[in-house]
Amino acid sequence: MPIYDLGYRHWSGEWTSHPYRWWVITRQGINLLVHKRRFMALMALSAIPFMVRAVMLYLSSSVGRSLPLLQINGKFFEDFLSQQMFFTFIIAIYAGAGLISNDLKANALQIYLSKPITRRDYLIGKLGVLVFFLSLPTLVPALLLYLLAILFGTNLTYFRDNLWVLASIVAYSLAIVFTYALVMLALSSLSKSSRFAGINFAAVFFFSQILYGILSQILRTTWVAWVSLGNNLTQIGDLLFSSTAHYRCPTWLSAVVLAVLLTGSTWIVHNRVKAVEVVS
Amino acid sequence: MSVILQAKELSKWYGQVIAVNKVSFSVGPGVIGLLGPNGAGKSTLMKLITGQLRPSQGEITLFGGRVWNNYPLFHRIGFCPEQDSFYERMTGAQFLAALVRMHGYEETEVQRRVDAVLETVSLTTARDKKIAAYSKGMRQRIKMAQAMAHDPEILILDEPLAGMDPVARHETIRMVREWGKAGKCVVVSSHILHEVEAMTQNILLMHNGQILAEGDVHQIRGLIDKHPHNVYLRCSEPRRLAALLVGFPDVESVRFHPDGRVLTIESRKPDEFYERLPDLLLSHEIELEEITSPDDNLQAVFHYLVK
Amino acid sequence: MPVRFSLAKGWRNVRTISFLTLDTLFWSKKTIFVAFISLIVLGMSVLGRLIMTYHWIRVPFTAAQVFGTLMSTAVIHFLVVFVTLFYGTALISDEVEGKTLTYLFVRPIPKPTILIGKYLALAWISVMLVLPTIVLSYVILYLQRDLQPFMQDIGLLAKDMGIVLLALLAYGSFFALIGAWLKHSILAGLIYAFGWEGIISYLPGFTRKLTITHYIQSIFPHQDSAAAIAMLIGERTDAVESVITLVLLAAFFLATASLILREKEYVLEQ
Repeated sequence: MPIYDLGYRHWSGEWTSHPYRWWVITRQGINLLVHKRRFMALMALSAIPFMVRAVMLYLSSSVGRSLPLLQINGKFFEDFLSQQMFFTFIIAIYAGAGLISNDLKANALQIYLSKPITRRDYLIGKLGVLVFFLSLPTLVPALLLYLLAILFGTNLTYFRDNLWVLASIVAYSLAIVFTYALVMLALSSLSKSSRFAGINFAAVFFFSQILYGILSQILRTTWVAWVSLGNNLTQIGDLLFSSTAHYRCPTWLSAVVLAVLLTGSTWIVHNRVKAVEVVS
Repeated sequence: MSVILQAKELSKWYGQVIAVNKVSFSVGPGVIGLLGPNGAGKSTLMKLITGQLRPSQGEITLFGGRVWNNYPLFHRIGFCPEQDSFYERMTGAQFLAALVRMHGYEETEVQRRVDAVLETVSLTTARDKKIAAYSKGMRQRIKMAQAMAHDPEILILDEPLAGMDPVARHETIRMVREWGKAGKCVVVSSHILHEVEAMTQNILLMHNGQILAEGDVHQIRGLIDKHPHNVYLRCSEPRRLAALLVGFPDVESVRFHPDGRVLTIESRKPDEFYERLPDLLLSHEIELEEITSPDDNLQAVFHYLVK
Repeated sequence: MPVRFSLAKGWRNVRTISFLTLDTLFWSKKTIFVAFISLIVLGMSVLGRLIMTYHWIRVPFTAAQVFGTLMSTAVIHFLVVFVTLFYGTALISDEVEGKTLTYLFVRPIPKPTILIGKYLALAWISVMLVLPTIVLSYVILYLQRDLQPFMQDIGLLAKDMGIVLLALLAYGSFFALIGAWLKHSILAGLIYAFGWEGIISYLPGFTRKLTITHYIQSIFPHQDSAAAIAMLIGERTDAVESVITLVLLAAFFLATASLILREKEYVLEQ
């Protein structure tokens, strides 16, 4: 036809397949946060321990590994990841407290779930944001340190002797990332106030530690370490990196507690995210 | 006219964004409509008037005193904000009483004022219901109530009719007109033109942070030279009338309506046109059935100045 | 209408704001959550009492030891900080987020009055949530047929309550300042409470005096391991000086918060 209709036209191209629709939410969440200067400054700050450790790796390879501080073994990576839990905690609050609570406050869930995405897509998308940002100070720099350890070696001996460390790094990092991410998401889904969610998250971590402190003093044993979320993660780290256990608590108990916590968090999030809330 | 509210070269910016740009105006007793499209700067101007924001440049004064951090002035100001936010757990009566108490009244006077204002906004039956359970219209009315309860001399109303049903809307418009007649200064902000038109003919038109026009709607319309006035005429012999009218120099154009009985005249001097029209019709025995001016109103002023 | 400032009028406004804030806080989720945390602390005292009564562990401990541990670990280092952080940062932030600040700012009351009124509400509600926990813990742990230990340490209980009250006021005013000043007040508060105070209180010399916890530890009669380590590194400040400093700090933070509230522009999100 000579004159073309420039009005609304139906999309005749390809539709993205369903399994990837969660990525839209993750991408949007990431985009929103990377434009916040303070958040990016926090991310930059979280890279400082990595740089310190990279220098230690360099010194270890040039000065020699005789000094205890420059022993590059499993414990080196375990300590790095354990120390990074402080930044993970702060980033989880900054990035995660408002992820679902802000949507609840703005009644945006109805809009999300009226689109052709499922609740699962929404939740995976939101989880993806946290997993991305929590991996940046943990998994990514730990893998980079491992790579540097290989590169600074004169041969592949280190790599051959410490292949298991790579698996431990990935496992421990994911344990930390998913624990923080799921707990934060669950708390974010319980409130319309991101501040309330953030402080509850802090309460869960700090109060569990305080509880452990009191119980260990009253009962005179570290067997009760499973009460503390941070201690449970430390126990898992000790197991994965074959380190001497920090506490007398059995590792399987720590694993069970974490599994229960993660299952519970997933259940909470799944139940809280609904398009319509029926108020009786 | 006694000046109640005055702005002199008032500007407000947030970083690189200028929200209000060198605005100057004076407002006295009566109702004035603050109009403009979204993003014009109306809300920012309202916040400057009510002392929630500090001017970046220039000044804004109420009753001769600057507004920012001048808390005694707020005895005389009533503000109905746009946002739909309340202390949701409180009942309507508790909410009003808490706010009225802050004006320093004795408890009996607080209760009397609360009762009176609830009666005015027709919320007496819902006084003991939690605000969280109120409908949108009720929430808007309780918001108006808290602005009125202390009988202020100046009322600043930001989108006061939002969410109201037609009856409540009519009542509110009537109240606003009465306040204006009683000598209060009422500044009403809205982007719904016919609502403002129902309340007042005095407007302050904003766009892109600047005042585009100030004063009576009709006077402003008369000054908009770029757009000649449209006059719509339905008569028995439109073509004969058109032939007569085109001879006059102020008539810019004549258009015929498809139904053949209506013509639309564009004239740059509407007053002269209206003066001449009756004699013309009588002398040529043309029967006039209808005459209107579709653009001698706020909508046209808004459209011509903003778009 | 002529307006004259008077103390009576000012107090009336402060009281009105206090009651308004208490009304919104009292049955809120925040209070229920904090009450739940307090109950867990009480639960610890019950556990301690059961262990003492039924000799569940081989090495016995006394009521004083358990009470001291609870006070220093759970109450001072956690409950006080948590409660004041929770409520203090919310004093102004809640009004900003809820967009109800407008209603307060367009009233004929000075902005500092608003803050003081809200602070009093914070003090009241945190005292109501924390002090009964301390008293009940003491009763649970000490109460037995022989009232002598109970009466002997009652002075200690009174001292603990006084110190906790001072701590609530000092931390409360500090977090009120952070809440009035910063957008991400919770994060800043957490970094201060569990980051700055955790690190600086272990440093020697004058640096330790840059924390609120130092002055509290200086007058606190119970010792936990953290306080013991801290005391090894540096000296305690004199008790009278510590009390005066805490009071002055509370007043200073409150005054600064009032100033910030008066001068800051709060842009409510549309």
